[in-house]
Amino acid sequence: MVASRKAEWLAAALAVMLAPAVADFKAAEVRPKFAPAALALGGRLELDLTPNVEEALAKGIPLEVIFTVRLYRERKLLWDRRIAEWTFKRELRYHALSGQYLIGSGLPHLGDAPEETVTESFNSLPEALRQMGALDELKLPLPATAAPAGEHTVEIRAYLDIEALPAPLRPVAYTSLAWRLNSGWSTWKVQR
Amino acid sequence: MEGTTLKRYFTGVAPLAVLSVLLLAALFMMSAAIQNSAVFGRVYTALLVINLFGIVLLLALILLNLFHLIEQHRARVMGARLTLRLLIMFTLLAVAPASVVFFFSLQTLNRGIDNWFDVKIEQALDDALLLGRAALDATKQDLVKSAQEMATELQNVSSAGRPGANRTVLAALNNLREQYGVTELTLYAQDGRIIAASGEPSLGTGTLVPDRPSDAVLAQVRQGQTYANLDVIGKSGLQLRVVAPVYARAVGAPLRLLQVLQALPTRYAKLGESVQSAYAEYEKLAYLRGPLKFGFILTLTLVTLLAMLIAVWAAIFFARRLVAPIRDLAEGTRAVADGDYRKQLPVPGGDEIGVLVKSFNDMTRRIHGANAQIRRSQREAEMQRTYLETVLTHLSSGVLSFDQRQCLRTHNAAAGQILGADLARAAGQPLAWLGENHAHLAPFADAVDRALGAGQAEWRADVALEGQNGRRTLMLRGTRLPALGGRRGGCVVVFDDVTALIQAQRDAAWGEVARRMAHEIKNPLTPIQLAAERIRHKFLRALPEDERQTLDRATRTIVEQVEALKAMVNAFSDYARPAPMQSRPLDLNNLIRDVAELYRNERAPEAGGAPALALELDPELPWITADAGRLRQVLHNLLLNARDALAATARPEIRLGTRLVRDGERGYAEFRVQDNGPGFPPAMLERLFEPYVTSKEKGTGLGLAIVKRVVEEHGGGIRAENPAQGGACVTIRLPAGAAAADPAETRGEVVPLTRTRMEKGA
Repeated sequence: MVASRKAEWLAAALAVMLAPAVADFKAAEVRPKFAPAALALGGRLELDLTPNVEEALAKGIPLEVIFTVRLYRERKLLWDRRIAEWTFKRELRYHALSGQYLIGSGLPHLGDAPEETVTESFNSLPEALRQMGALDELKLPLPATAAPAGEHTVEIRAYLDIEALPAPLRPVAYTSLAWRLNSGWSTWKVQR
Repeated sequence: MEGTTLKRYFTGVAPLAVLSVLLLAALFMMSAAIQNSAVFGRVYTALLVINLFGIVLLLALILLNLFHLIEQHRARVMGARLTLRLLIMFTLLAVAPASVVFFFSLQTLNRGIDNWFDVKIEQALDDALLLGRAALDATKQDLVKSAQEMATELQNVSSAGRPGANRTVLAALNNLREQYGVTELTLYAQDGRIIAASGEPSLGTGTLVPDRPSDAVLAQVRQGQTYANLDVIGKSGLQLRVVAPVYARAVGAPLRLLQVLQALPTRYAKLGESVQSAYAEYEKLAYLRGPLKFGFILTLTLVTLLAMLIAVWAAIFFARRLVAPIRDLAEGTRAVADGDYRKQLPVPGGDEIGVLVKSFNDMTRRIHGANAQIRRSQREAEMQRTYLETVLTHLSSGVLSFDQRQCLRTHNAAAGQILGADLARAAGQPLAWLGENHAHLAPFADAVDRALGAGQAEWRADVALEGQNGRRTLMLRGTRLPALGGRRGGCVVVFDDVTALIQAQRDAAWGEVARRMAHEIKNPLTPIQLAAERIRHKFLRALPEDERQTLDRATRTIVEQVEALKAMVNAFSDYARPAPMQSRPLDLNNLIRDVAELYRNERAPEAGGAPALALELDPELPWITADAGRLRQVLHNLLLNARDALAATARPEIRLGTRLVRDGERGYAEFRVQDNGPGFPPAMLERLFEPYVTSKEKGTGLGLAIVKRVVEEHGGGIRAENPAQGGACVTIRLPAGAAAADPAETRGEVVPLTRTRMEKGA
């Protein structure tokens, strides 16, 4: 009796924890491969927004999603060695007058290099989110020291940057699961 | 040391002040951040965390302090109760108004933020947006119409097949663009390939490549629908994009797509952007109303909490600070009550408490001074008393002091010795008690009582005490003590045993008598003897036989009696002879052995045999300085006396013994002659050493007197007694090592112990 009640509680807790996972960020498919002096990413991340976040977006709150890509060289005995890390962000905002969703994409850069932004507009949110998660035609510059020999893996992660939200919203976002949108790290093999 | 430093870090005013200032600054930044400040916006979360942490830290510190305070209160530490009371009062004073202010601020804040959002303004903004959209729609519809017209016109322009067709298309596009006044015209093939494009020459190099519509748009247009939309370019640029299908006249010719881009006029664009940004901002604010309120309330709550906590800490600090001097005073008072007069408290300041503490310090300092003075005086008095006691103890005279009620207050050792009574028991007892409890002291008590009754300041008296050891004469001198505090003072009685002195005087008189007698008697003896012999010589033969015998007997008797008289006179002169002593170091044991040897073999004239001589000599006996000849005489006299006393004893025995006796720091060689005869006649014991005191029929009575004189000339003492086991015993003590004292000094004034024992035996 007690055990079953415990199980119920556990299930409820899991349900609460997994609820936002229904609308979460997820790496659906990533096809990294080496291009001359760059790492070409392919595939896409599925970026789903929770109703709370969608509402905030509709009310003009810009959302910033931060992408982090790490390149590792596989080693047999030792742990994998990290060769490079790229961070770029994509901003999604709603333009009320035109009724369009705008995506400002920062170009991938290494370390602390200055960021360039390209803006695109979309008529619908799913279209915009699809574009936002798209990794096609994304070329990440490789550091000069990185040699493409051997087996490599790529780790990728995307999350909603709560710190980029307006200050009053941050405490709410930090304390609400609905705002915790994070794909977590996923590993993909680099194709030759 | 470390603990103290740590404690200071947690309880001092400086860390509190620093923490408070830091937290207030963080709160200020937080407040600024929540009002959309770009500077602090980025660090809002960090500030929030810092503030929460700071407040938790502050709370913990305060709780720690409170815990300590309550612990002290429970342990009844001085001042804890007052501190707690003050703390509660201060806290109430600080927290109550702060709570009221907080409550009303909360209300005002809620109402104020709600007031920002006006329904009318919201409506107006909505309307403005709708108006903007309507205006843009109209423009868009115009552009769609133009695009469709252009598409119709382009139907005739073929772009495939012939060489130079593209140039023709381009020319047509240029014409159409200028004709319709659009920004850019682009013709796409069905597969999205650019056929030709015409743009305003004023556009920069960035627009050399035409802006391609998305695949979705292209797909939509291929279906035959015209796409029209307002595009946002960059941050604020707006342009209308219309994509329309261009159908070919020729059957089977591919569909083409015409994209018309029309940048909004600057004025329109600005207005549109203005409306858009205002609307967006308002929407954002409206959406953020809840979080904003939450943020403000959070900030306000944190500020209030911080203010209250700081107030509580300040209350703790000031309560402690206020109570500290009072606590010190209380502790100081307790210390003074416990007798610690050296307590000095730190003066807290120039206020009333400071004056109080200063007065307290003055008071303790004075008490301490007075106390030290008293102690010094006590010590001096004690020293005086000790000094007096020492003097009194070592005084050979007896000293007694009586209070005004004639009760015995003080006495010295000599007094007890002289009076022969344990005066410790008599302390505090009245004078009469002495007489009642010690019968032999009755004359003494009477004499003192009489003298005191006479009321004289100083008096003298002689008292004769009859004791077991005979009659002793005391000389008393009394002095009245000064009166104290209006009460009659007591008196001091000093007395000496002058028996020995009187004895000495008597001895001196006897010596003088002896000398004169010797002189006066000896002078006529020789003529008498000569005359008698001459008479005998001259008339013996002349007289008849019967008378001759008478004369012979008579003259013989005269001569014999004159000889006897001469011997007696010689003995007298021996006794009175003031011949000088010839002292030198000698071994008393050897001397005794020599003399004893003489008596060992001598046969007694009229007894059954010589007495047995037993020597018990102490080998450790030190050498003494003495006149060997006189000591030899002393030994002869004593041994002769003993031998004579043993004449009728069955088994006569004489024991000669020596031993070392210590009296204080001085050593004495003690010499003892003991026999097993009948002992001294008790009646004679008292005056045994006086001349002409003898129990023998033939003795001159000078033997023991001479012995005593010689012993006294050597600074020694003599004692005669009848031991319990029978017989007689004479004990002589001579100072070891030292030269014989001046006979004049030592006559009757020998070592106290010796004298005391002498008195018992004499």
